[in-house]
Amino acid sequence: MAAAEAAGLIAVGAGLAVGLTGLGAGIAEGNVGAAAVGAITEDASLFGKAMIFMVLPETIVIFGLVISILAIFVM
Amino acid sequence: MSLPESMSRIVIAGSLSHIDEAIDALYKTGAVHLIDHTVDADEGFTLGTPRPYSSKASERLLKIRSMEKELGLTKKTKTEPVPLEKIKSQISSESVELIEKEISSVLDKKNDLSQRITELNATKKSLELLSKLDIDLDLYSGYKSIFSAVGTVTADPAPGLAGICEVFSSGITKKEGGVVAVFARNEDKEKVLSALAECDFSEIPVPNETGSASAALAKTERELSAAAQDMEKVDGEIQALLEKHKDFLKASEEELSIEVEQGEIPVRIATSEHSFVMDGWVPSKTAEKVKIDIEAKVEGVYVEIQETRGRSMKEVEEAENRFKDVPTKFNNGRIVEEFQYPTKLMSVPKYQEIDPSILIAIFLPLFFGMMIGDVGYSIPFIILGAYGLKVTHHKDWRAIATVLFFGGIWAFIFGFFFYGECLGMHFVGEYTPGDVEYSWQYLLGLDNLPSFFEGILPGGHGVHKLGADWIGFQLKLSVYIGVCHLLLAYCCAVYNKTLQHGFVHAFKEKGGWVLSFIGMVLICYELAMLLIYGESFDSILIPMVIGAIILAAGVILNIPEDGMQAVLELPGIVGGVLSYTRIAAIGMSKAGMALAFNYICIGMIYGGLGEGILALIVAFALFAFLHLMIWTLGILSAGLHSLRLQFVELMVKFYEGGGTEFSPLKVKRVKTISDKDKA
Repeated sequence: MAAAEAAGLIAVGAGLAVGLTGLGAGIAEGNVGAAAVGAITEDASLFGKAMIFMVLPETIVIFGLVISILAIFVM
Repeated sequence: MSLPESMSRIVIAGSLSHIDEAIDALYKTGAVHLIDHTVDADEGFTLGTPRPYSSKASERLLKIRSMEKELGLTKKTKTEPVPLEKIKSQISSESVELIEKEISSVLDKKNDLSQRITELNATKKSLELLSKLDIDLDLYSGYKSIFSAVGTVTADPAPGLAGICEVFSSGITKKEGGVVAVFARNEDKEKVLSALAECDFSEIPVPNETGSASAALAKTERELSAAAQDMEKVDGEIQALLEKHKDFLKASEEELSIEVEQGEIPVRIATSEHSFVMDGWVPSKTAEKVKIDIEAKVEGVYVEIQETRGRSMKEVEEAENRFKDVPTKFNNGRIVEEFQYPTKLMSVPKYQEIDPSILIAIFLPLFFGMMIGDVGYSIPFIILGAYGLKVTHHKDWRAIATVLFFGGIWAFIFGFFFYGECLGMHFVGEYTPGDVEYSWQYLLGLDNLPSFFEGILPGGHGVHKLGADWIGFQLKLSVYIGVCHLLLAYCCAVYNKTLQHGFVHAFKEKGGWVLSFIGMVLICYELAMLLIYGESFDSILIPMVIGAIILAAGVILNIPEDGMQAVLELPGIVGGVLSYTRIAAIGMSKAGMALAFNYICIGMIYGGLGEGILALIVAFALFAFLHLMIWTLGILSAGLHSLRLQFVELMVKFYEGGGTEFSPLKVKRVKTISDKDKA
């Protein structure tokens, strides 16, 4: 019973890790993306820089994913 | 490492009387990037004036372009190329002016007609409204003591006007309103108009006709259809003119724009009363040839190779302002050339740094292939990419096709030799009833697959993207790839700085980061060993201390250059490395989707076997659709994320960019054939 409970808690934790980081990345990326699109419309040569800023927050959710994978398979 | 091509600066000097030939010769060599002269850079020299032929040519070019626009000749219209001699003689014999006259007479006709059609349409609209009232058109005007008004209203004005005037109206409804005509004494005009205004009265102009409105309407309609017929005829004439002149127009546009460009070269160079001097950058390996070429072709012109620019920043500082920036000529083979696009998307590399295109060419398709890692998805990628490369010339599409083609090849290699997967199902694998996962071995009943793949695939059945035993392995693998990739980036940074300022400076500026990186990786590795794999503290102590010493050395080296940044950026190193786990994570997410879809669809197919052909068709269609979805998502996620790893993790570490691309004076003829081409 205790083992099943622990497994369930791990699954919940993994879900929270991906879900919350995804939410955070989404909020951040939304702001950056809106500004980036505006900037690119004005000057298309900014695409490279805009793209970098745009994907920076995505790293957060990758961390979340890694944590959840570790939680499920390694713990 | 691929650096931009080495450049030499040449100076071409000659007498003004030979400037046309000199410009022509420069264009023919197609290897000279002109340096714009700046006012007051050389005593006695000023900027030149355009060649005399240039203004006439630009005037004609303007005419040609306006004619093209009027006739509807676009970039996409296909035209035949015209021999250069012919087009030149046509232009000099005033063909442009003659054709302009011919075209403008037809265009005038068209304008008149379209104006007439607009007028007729307006009259028709008024008459349509007026014909609702049974009043002859000549009765609306010609009175001395009464005035008339006719127009549309939204409500019936009759109650408000009772006793003041005579009102004729069509059936006025609340929804659509109606038409009303009023006749009143002149002295009641204001009263009437204000009463009408309350009903949203809007006056209709009465056409200058006699008789009933419906007769006039019929007449107008007849005129309108006649005008429309005329219009069709004129359109036909314009089409005929377009067909007749399109080759000439396109060819002369090209020829004239070349003339205009060449004629304006003197504005960019230094001239004195009798002589001119041009400075330009030439790829070093062709510099000698260019010198001999120009001197042989043009009399009285002297060419000298001034310097061959090295990569050191010291040379830049010593150079005159206008010679500081050296244009970047990419120095890549045919395949890497296709990957210049993402580099340029960031910025054109500087003359003094590594062109990262070659790194992108290696790693972008590799990461893409690793994320996809499936034989079934890779084959459409390869076909689509190869087809794209063969068919399209648009640089955006070519860039995408290149990634798809080479990425597809890597995806095949990984899919076949590493993961052993096709459409999310492993080649090798047993199936026991109740399993969610199918394998090709089970589906096709091929029992010889395991022996075939033995020795090819890791573990005999390939890396299982979602298998608990393999997940740690995949994560570790992607982290190791990240470490190598980033180490390469730091090495490139040191190499760039060595080129620009020498090794000592490079080590002071970037060496600290290499050390910090290595130290940090060592510490993290040992920590992971301790925390995740439960190694004893004693066994990790020594490597950990070594890592800490290297890290400390790196930070100390960095502090003079970067200050607090040297410490604050350290977590960024870990973040950068972990960022590569997306390679494994995206592969897993795709495998997860494929697993679920296969479970649904193959279950349906087996279930459908007894249900008849329709159920089978639906199941197969669903199978195809769902896999197409994963495949399309693959382009987006795998493509963008592998690009991001290049841009954000790799290039940020060493790439500065901000160079100017080498753009030599060169004539590109598409619509005109020079005599040389024919021979």
